[in-house]
Amino acid sequence: MIATATAEAVTLLTSRLGAGLLVARELEPDLLWVSVNPADVRTATATMKELGTRFLVTVGIDERPLGGGYGIVHLFAMDDAHQFVAIDCPVSAGDPRIDSITPLIPGAAWAEQEFHDMIGVEPVGHPDPRRLVLPDDWPKGVHPLRRDVAYNYRPPSVEGAAPELKSPPKGTSVVPIGPFFPVLEEPARFRLFVEGETVVGCDYRGFYNHRGIEKLGDSVLTWDRIPFLAERICGICGFIHSTCYCQAAEKAAGIVVPRRAAYIRTIMLELERIHSHLLWLGIAGHIIGFDTVLMQTWRIREPVMWLTEEISGNRKTYGMNMVGGVRRDISDAQLPRIRDVLATVEREAIAVRKAITDDSTLHARTKGVGPLSTEWAREICVVGPPARASNVPIDARLDHPYAAYDDLPPHLCLADGCDTWSRVIVRLDELADSIRLVREAIDNLPTGPVLAEFDEIPAGRIGVSAVEAPRGEAIHFVMTGGVNRPYRWRVRAPTFPNLQAIPAMIRGQSIADVPITIGSIDPCFSCTERMETVDCRDGRVRVYSLKELQALTQSASTGDGGYDL
Amino acid sequence: MLLSKLREALICVQAGRVTLPYPFAPHDPAPGFRGKLSLDADLCIGCGGCAAVCPSGVILIRDDAPMVRTLHFSLARCTYCGRCSEVCPEGALAHTLEFETATNTVDDLELSLDVFMGPCQRCGRCFPPPTSMEQLPVRGFRADTSCARAGADLPAPGLLDLWAPNGVTSAVDLRRPTP
Repeated sequence: MIATATAEAVTLLTSRLGAGLLVARELEPDLLWVSVNPADVRTATATMKELGTRFLVTVGIDERPLGGGYGIVHLFAMDDAHQFVAIDCPVSAGDPRIDSITPLIPGAAWAEQEFHDMIGVEPVGHPDPRRLVLPDDWPKGVHPLRRDVAYNYRPPSVEGAAPELKSPPKGTSVVPIGPFFPVLEEPARFRLFVEGETVVGCDYRGFYNHRGIEKLGDSVLTWDRIPFLAERICGICGFIHSTCYCQAAEKAAGIVVPRRAAYIRTIMLELERIHSHLLWLGIAGHIIGFDTVLMQTWRIREPVMWLTEEISGNRKTYGMNMVGGVRRDISDAQLPRIRDVLATVEREAIAVRKAITDDSTLHARTKGVGPLSTEWAREICVVGPPARASNVPIDARLDHPYAAYDDLPPHLCLADGCDTWSRVIVRLDELADSIRLVREAIDNLPTGPVLAEFDEIPAGRIGVSAVEAPRGEAIHFVMTGGVNRPYRWRVRAPTFPNLQAIPAMIRGQSIADVPITIGSIDPCFSCTERMETVDCRDGRVRVYSLKELQALTQSASTGDGGYDL
Repeated sequence: MLLSKLREALICVQAGRVTLPYPFAPHDPAPGFRGKLSLDADLCIGCGGCAAVCPSGVILIRDDAPMVRTLHFSLARCTYCGRCSEVCPEGALAHTLEFETATNTVDDLELSLDVFMGPCQRCGRCFPPPTSMEQLPVRGFRADTSCARAGADLPAPGLLDLWAPNGVTSAVDLRRPTP
């Protein structure tokens, strides 16, 4: 089955590309590596689309120190065949340009903007070639993920730097949301183009929290230190990122994780999903002004946090994952305690579900709000509960099994409402299923060691791993380097594709429904990781300088009104 | 609709008051909690294993005087992962249950330890004496030298300085020079 699908893909790529296909190798049982002539990238992408594969992310690699140019690797997933396919395009260092695939796959837009910023390879024909990740005052021509840029390089800040703004459609007004907005805990800036109360389009600038984590991973840290940094990519689903990194490194190095460690990872991953879904339900309630849900779901969530503290030594950032397994074992004495907490959470979560499913206020605020059709969910390559609520049957736990999910298959929780309400239902179903999974995992916990020993990890190996986080699928790509650390470590957090679906979800919606729609994808901006200027109501873009803004606030506080807003 | 509101009210009433009395009553974490680091100076042999594994660069090692190795801990950087205490061969490092580490003075979280070592006759660098008998006379904390030097000539613990400060070598770089 697996071999057939891979062979079929290679046959079709060969017939479409001819001499443009340079190499096709099965690097791992679940990873097909296809090197193509960069000039043929669009043909290769069109073929992948024809094969029904799903675009994941693009990895840009500076291969100049290895004697190459820049490697642009588009990752795809053949979900039914449990395969990853990497379309590798060796771009020459002398002419760092490649055809953009965004006209074919809208979901590739940010991935291509990102390698433009970070590696300096220009995606030719990209519909939106603005900066995505780098700050506005970052010097032109400095691409931080190139190997010759020091990890601690700090360019001087430039006053008056401003991003390019998308001009609003004629006849519309601009309503800015953020960068700091009470509903969203993290900085993100949306400019809504509105006609009256109705949103007709939007512009987004985020990446205010870019922390250079990938750079630290391939220049300063070592294999065993990275899990602790990976865990800090997200404050809620940290264990997902450390697991995903470790799995990618283990695949690259050929390390087999002990079975008990795989089960312990599964238990922790599902406990994380339980508390994350309860947290999301509370925040969703809070966004629509239904704070009872916030208070009660967070109360129900708290025992799960205490439980993870008992197991791992910390309520978050468990610090348990290492390349090769886990550091802490779960003792038999802790098992009854886990069962008790699960029983309480299950009883209370069912009570909350029963209470809120018939609540007409909740229906009025979520049904038909933030619609995302199945077709668009596929085009934008949305993942996780927003995808499943739009009836796209993907779940990394089933499609690309890892940890102990081969023994403990989760139920695929689908809904066809394609709206915020369906996203609530999908998450509530998943919450119940996660409780079942943890129970089954502790009932079948194998005995044995929890950490595998390994020798030096050889250079030039590649590993790709997917982990289903509560908010969707996380992807980590690891290419090994020879100095006890990865040569390239690429992280794609689930919000990265999901946030790109926001313009489609809020179009035609009322301004009041925008916060809950943004909230419905369970956004995690810091994991994904742009300042804008004030726009006049007539749609003209006006840029205020810092001095003008200061004068403005001073005049507003003294009341002499120097500026006419 | 009404039934739904009644159910919601019932959940709230049944839960009752859940606020804990902390900070007016202690709230001890569960055993196994990874709290503030404690260092037993008498046990440390200066092997530098902790500095080699620390993911956040808390621990720095300097060998700038013959026979003396300085271990400097900037605990404000600590992420409480517990790798140092895990690899310490002598059990000198341990995590306590202490979590109330807020302070107005960042120096409260700086810790410096001088360990008397044997210098290598060829390279002059410190190393722990090979046998435990030989370790007996040279092991431990020397207050006379550390007091004068602790913190005084160390660089300010800025983020970038601590990763690769001038003249300071982490144990990792000692062992595995990067090309």
